Amino acid sequence: MANYYDIDDILADEELVPAVFLEAVNGVGLFESNEANRIEPRSKVELPFWLAQELHLRQAVSVNIPPCFNKKTREEIGADGAHVDLRSRCSYFYELGCKIVQLIGDKTIGSLLLVAFQTRYKEVLIKAHTAASALTPKFLSLLTKEETKLYDAAKSSTAAFKTWRMGGPRFQKAAVLGRKRKPIGE
Amino acid sequence: MYGRKACQLVKELENSESGQLTGFNTDLFAQVIEQCDGHVNNLQALLRKMQEVGSENQTAKNADHFGALMHHLSLVRNKRCLMAYVYNRAEIVQTLGWTVDCVLPEEIEEKLSSSEREYFKNHSATLKSYMSDLDIDLALDMVPPKDPYIKVRVLEEIGTVVLSDQLANLARHAILFLRRTDAEQYIAQGKMEELTG
Repeated sequence: MANYYDIDDILADEELVPAVFLEAVNGVGLFESNEANRIEPRSKVELPFWLAQELHLRQAVSVNIPPCFNKKTREEIGADGAHVDLRSRCSYFYELGCKIVQLIGDKTIGSLLLVAFQTRYKEVLIKAHTAASALTPKFLSLLTKEETKLYDAAKSSTAAFKTWRMGGPRFQKAAVLGRKRKPIGE
Repeated sequence: MYGRKACQLVKELENSESGQLTGFNTDLFAQVIEQCDGHVNNLQALLRKMQEVGSENQTAKNADHFGALMHHLSLVRNKRCLMAYVYNRAEIVQTLGWTVDCVLPEEIEEKLSSSEREYFKNHSATLKSYMSDLDIDLALDMVPPKDPYIKVRVLEEIGTVVLSDQLANLARHAILFLRRTDAEQYIAQGKMEELTG
């Protein structure tokens, strides 16, 4: 298990996965429309991963493959992985993939993630090292959380390299104080 | 859906720029705790029901069991979210102690909850006493300087201050040569900037 306090891990666990209840459950008001406070077997629901995982292990629900790993997405990634909008499908595409594979044992997900990451990684680094900032917002909106972090890391290392070569100031204002504040009167 | 509110709390952390504090969301925090209370009540009711039914009716018992399990899992989840919220903020508060010395700017102070303020105060006091025991300022720059003096511009009116080697009038817009060790804390607080070239 990842770090207990890890924000990204917590948010990746919140992604919804489709699931089917195998057992009846009492005393749970999962949906507002359900007044009886009871879930019947064979009801189809979307559960956050943290809940679906535990219930799946106890055989109360059966988890299905989330829509972001469906055939259409696979084909798009196979065609041109770098320009697929993964963020709108699942901003924790890789993390969720790694987690879900342990539950359902679909062997193809691993290679899908690898291919997607390889093609996209190259593109992310090229864009981060070269592109002018005006060009990037559209490209950035396609990236998952992890790729955005890679992009930022690449960007800041380019910036650090430049200051090292040109010799910039060593001292800077503490980052916690925020950058936007301007001196009064300007 | 269970755990949604707690997740919103964590999202707030994620959306803020890394290393920056946002205001402590007391309202949402209290709502999540209220939700936890609701889960506990439901959980206890189900457990009581299971005890009353006994082992006769196996299917009904199973349904109650899974209901109780879901409430339990939601509690664990909410707890994790709340802990992560407090923990990650506390980490930022700790770095504050290293960078801005013990004077907290107003716009940051109002973002902290009262216990975070207490934490900051005690943490920076501990740091201070440790450094004075060692007789070394550990917050200084780790790279040995090429020149002990640097050129700085004053961005905010500071007034006349006794520095380690001189009595300097730090008026706004003044450009001065100061010892690096003197200037460092003012630059970290955003009251000066280093000039190069």
